[in-house]
Amino acid sequence: MSAPVLPLNSRGKLASSLPAEQLAEISQLFEFRRTGYSLDAPFYTDPTIFKIDMEAIFGQHWIFAGSVAELPEPGDYITVDYGPYSLIVLRNDDGGVNVLHNVCRHRGARVLTEAAGSTGNLVCGYHSWTYSAEGNLIHASAPGEAKFDKNCFALKRAHSREVAGLIFVCIADEPPTDFDETSKIFEPYLAPHDLSKTKIAYQQNIIEEGNWKLVMENNRECYHCDGHPELACSLFPTWGLTEGLIPAHLEEVWDRNKEAQSSLEERCRRYGLPYEVVEELDTRIAGIRISRESLDGEGESFSADGRRLSKKLLGDLPDFRLGRCSMHLQPNSWFHFLGDHVITFGVFPINEHQSLVRTTWLVADDAVEGVDYDLEKLTYTWKQTNLQDKAFVELCQQGAGSPAYEPGPYMKSEYQVEAFINWYVQRVQEHLA
Amino acid sequence: MIELLTETAIQEPQRIRGLEMPWNRVMGSTEAPARAARALGPWHPQEFMAECVETVPEAGGLMTFVFRRCDGAPLAFRAGQYVNVAFPVNGEDKEPVDRSYSLSSSPTEPWTFSISVKRDGGGLVSPWVHENVKPGTVLEMLGPVGAFHLPDADRRARYLLLAAGAGITPIMSMVRTIHSLPGHADVVVLYHGAEAGGFAFHQELAYIASVDSRVKVFYSLGDRSKPEGWEGLSGRLTAAMLDEVAPDANGRQVYACGPEGYLNTATELLKKVGVDDTSIYMEFFTGDRQTLLEYQAELAHAADIAEEIAEEIADSAEDYFESQPTAFGLYEPGYDAEGTLKAGGLPLETVDADAAGPEALDGGSDTEPETASPDASSFDTVGTGSLTLSFMRTGINVRIDPTEHILGAAQRAGVRIGANCKEGMCGSCKVVKLSGEVEMNHQGGIRAREIDAGKFLPCCSTARTDMVIDA
Ligand code: FES
Ligand code: FES
Ligand SMILES: [Fe+2]
Repeated sequence: MSAPVLPLNSRGKLASSLPAEQLAEISQLFEFRRTGYSLDAPFYTDPTIFKIDMEAIFGQHWIFAGSVAELPEPGDYITVDYGPYSLIVLRNDDGGVNVLHNVCRHRGARVLTEAAGSTGNLVCGYHSWTYSAEGNLIHASAPGEAKFDKNCFALKRAHSREVAGLIFVCIADEPPTDFDETSKIFEPYLAPHDLSKTKIAYQQNIIEEGNWKLVMENNRECYHCDGHPELACSLFPTWGLTEGLIPAHLEEVWDRNKEAQSSLEERCRRYGLPYEVVEELDTRIAGIRISRESLDGEGESFSADGRRLSKKLLGDLPDFRLGRCSMHLQPNSWFHFLGDHVITFGVFPINEHQSLVRTTWLVADDAVEGVDYDLEKLTYTWKQTNLQDKAFVELCQQGAGSPAYEPGPYMKSEYQVEAFINWYVQRVQEHLA
Repeated sequence: MIELLTETAIQEPQRIRGLEMPWNRVMGSTEAPARAARALGPWHPQEFMAECVETVPEAGGLMTFVFRRCDGAPLAFRAGQYVNVAFPVNGEDKEPVDRSYSLSSSPTEPWTFSISVKRDGGGLVSPWVHENVKPGTVLEMLGPVGAFHLPDADRRARYLLLAAGAGITPIMSMVRTIHSLPGHADVVVLYHGAEAGGFAFHQELAYIASVDSRVKVFYSLGDRSKPEGWEGLSGRLTAAMLDEVAPDANGRQVYACGPEGYLNTATELLKKVGVDDTSIYMEFFTGDRQTLLEYQAELAHAADIAEEIAEEIADSAEDYFESQPTAFGLYEPGYDAEGTLKAGGLPLETVDADAAGPEALDGGSDTEPETASPDASSFDTVGTGSLTLSFMRTGINVRIDPTEHILGAAQRAGVRIGANCKEGMCGSCKVVKLSGEVEMNHQGGIRAREIDAGKFLPCCSTARTDMVIDA
C-alpha cells in the first residue's frame, strides 16, 4: 500500500488570496487576449501571473519529468524543480515510480539536494529525519519526545505515470483524466524505440533568461529555422509550410521532401510503425502533436549528411532510415525519437523570466561511446540549436520588458504557437473560474 | 491414418531475445574458465591432426569432407572461420601444400567439422583432394583462423548473408549455426550461382528456410540466361536486388563471401542502399595481391600463436589451462584472468515486450573493492575479542566479539564514523570493507548495489571474520 496523496493547497488557491482588484485585472488580460497575436507583456514579466501559471498549469497538469533511462534501477532518483516546487522522482523496489515533495516535514529543508542520484531511505541533511522510499517517516531521533507521532509526518506524495518509458508527474489532488487518452495516442509511436533499453549519452541543463511560455512558443514554429544552420541539414527548410505556401526558391526542396516522406511512409507501413500526424494541441487538456517525418539527406539522424550518429539501433527497430518521430506535449516537453537515438526536452520554469531547459540524449544501452557513437557528433546539432533558441527566447524576453512592446500577429506557419497560447489561456481561465 | 493437413494455424515459436552462442554463456557463468568451456577450448588456433570420416558430394562441383580431430577433442571455432590444411599432394615424404578452406559445418556440433572443396580443374590441390581424401585419411591442420565470423552474442541478430559460388561455405556454417540455436534472429541469404544445378547445399537451405521462419533464402543466377522453370532471381547483384530481398538492409549486419569482383560490387551497392561500412564483413575467396598478403599475415599470426601455445602446454599443461586465456586479440574468449569479461552475454529475456529481463551483466558495481591486504601489522591494537578489525585510514586494530555491533566498537576506539539512526535505516554510517565478512541486518539504509560494491552499515552489522575496513 502506498501512502495516500495528500491535498496540497490546504490554504486554498492563490487566485482566491489575491486582492479582488488585482485578480480582476489579471482575469481581464486573459479574457481580452487578442486571438492570433502574441501575448501582452505581463504574461512574460509579471510575478503574479507566473504564480498563477504555476498553480493553474504546473500545479494541475501532467508534467514531463524525465525518462526511465534517468532512473533505471531501484533507488535511482532525479529531482525536478519548477517554480516553488521541488519533487523527488524515485524508482521503487517494485519497479514503479514514487513522486514525493522534496520538502522535509520537520522544518522544510530540501531532503535530496542533488539533481540525480541513488539512495536507500531518504535522509534529510539537516536533522537526519529518515523517510522510506514511500515517503513514510521511519526515523527521527527524538529523545524524550513522548507525544511525537511519526505517522503524521510522511513526505507529501504526488501522482506519477510512466508511458513508453517517459515519466510524468502531477501534483494536483485529482489529476486530469484525459492524459490516459493522450498516452494511448503516443504510446504506439514511441514503444518500438524501447526507452527501457537506452542509456543517457549526455544531459544538458541550460537556464534561459526567458519566461517558460516563450521557450515553448519558440519550439512550436520553424519560421525562425533560418537561424539554425546545423539543424537545417536535417529538417527540410520547408518544415511547417503546406502546398501553396511554397516560395519558388524552395520548390526543389519541397519535392525532395515529398519524396522522402512517401518513402518513409512506405517503410513505416512495412514495419507497422504509425506515422500519421495527430495534432490536438488545444483541443484536449493533455495537448499533443505527434508525427513521424522524414529527415533530409540519408534520413537517419540529425547529422550533416543524415547518416546515423550511433551504430546501435534502438529497441527492435529493423532500419535506421526512420526519420524522426517528433512529439510535443503541453505544457513542458518535446521529443525526437530516431532509429539510433532519442532526445528529450523538458522545460522547468524557475520564475517569470528564467527557465531551465533540460535536454537528454539517449542511445541504446549497449552502445559504447567512442566505438558506436562519438559524443561530440551525437550532440552537436542540438547543442548548437539549443544555444540559438536560447538567444531567440532571450531576445523576446527583453522585448516583453520594453514599454514599446505590443503583441504582434502570428504568421500562418506559426499556427501551432497560437494553438499553444490558446490552450494556455483556456486552461488558466478554467482554473480561475 | 494420420491427419497431416490441419486447419488450425500453427503459432510462431516463442523465443528469447537475440542470438547467443552456447559457449558464451558457459564462459560467462563462472569466475574461472568453466570445465565445459575448456572442453570447447582452446579459443585460439592450434596445430592438430584430423581424420576424414565422411565425404559428401555437393552440387556445383563441391565435395564436403567431414573430419574429426585425432586427439578426440572437439574443434572450437566460430561460424565463418577457416582452417589451413597441409595436403601431401606430392607424396608423404615431400613438402605438403597448404590451402585454407572455410569451415562449412556449425560450431554447435563441434565433435566433427567439415570443409567443402570446389574442384578446380586446372588447380594443383583441389583435384588431388577430391581424388585422394577419403574416410581414414589423416591430415595436418592449423585453425581456427579468421576474423570473419558471427558475434558471440547479438541482441539484434539481423543479418544479410551474401554468397557467390563456393562463397557459400562460411555462410552455410552461419546458417547452420543460427538454425541450431534458439533465439530471435532475422536472416536473409542471397546466393549467387552460375547455373541452375550448381547451388551447393540448396536442398538443406530449402529445408532450413521451410522449417525456420527466421531464415529466408534467395537464389540468383548470375548473368546467365535462366532455364525453363527457374523460379529464383536472375542477374548480378544490384541495388534493386538488395532492396528486393532485404529492404531493411541498412539495419542489418552484412556478411559476404565470394570472388573479389563480386565482393567489390557488393561493397559499392551496400553503401548505396545505406549500409554503414562498419556493418559489412567480407571474406575473399580469391583476391588481389594485397588481399592475399593480408590472408598470409593472418595465417602467419595464427601459426605463431599455435606454436606459442603448444610450447606453453608442453612446459606445463596444468599451468597453461589455469592461466588460459591470455590476450590473443581476435581469439579471446569471454573471460580473462580477472573473471568474466563485460557484456559476456545477453540477459535472459523473451522477445515479448512486456516481459521484464534481469539486470544486465555489466550493470552494477562501479567501485570494486580492492582485494590486496594493506599492512595493518604496525597498528595499535585495542579491545578484546576473538576477531580483529583493521581500520586502515584511522590506523588502528580493534578486537571484537562476533556478537558485537561493529559501529560501537569502532567509535569507542576513536574511529570516526558518522551515525544517526543506529538501526540500519539512515545510511549515514556506510563504510567500505576491503576484506572480511559481515552479517548485516539493515532496514533500507543501503542498496543491494552498494552491498555488491563492498559497502556495509557497521551500526547493524557484526563481524564474521577478521576484517579490513576503509575508515
Ligand atoms: S529539516 Fe529535515 S530533519 Fe530537520
Ligand atoms: S547509523 Fe543509520 S544506518 Fe547506520
Ligand atoms: Fe528553434
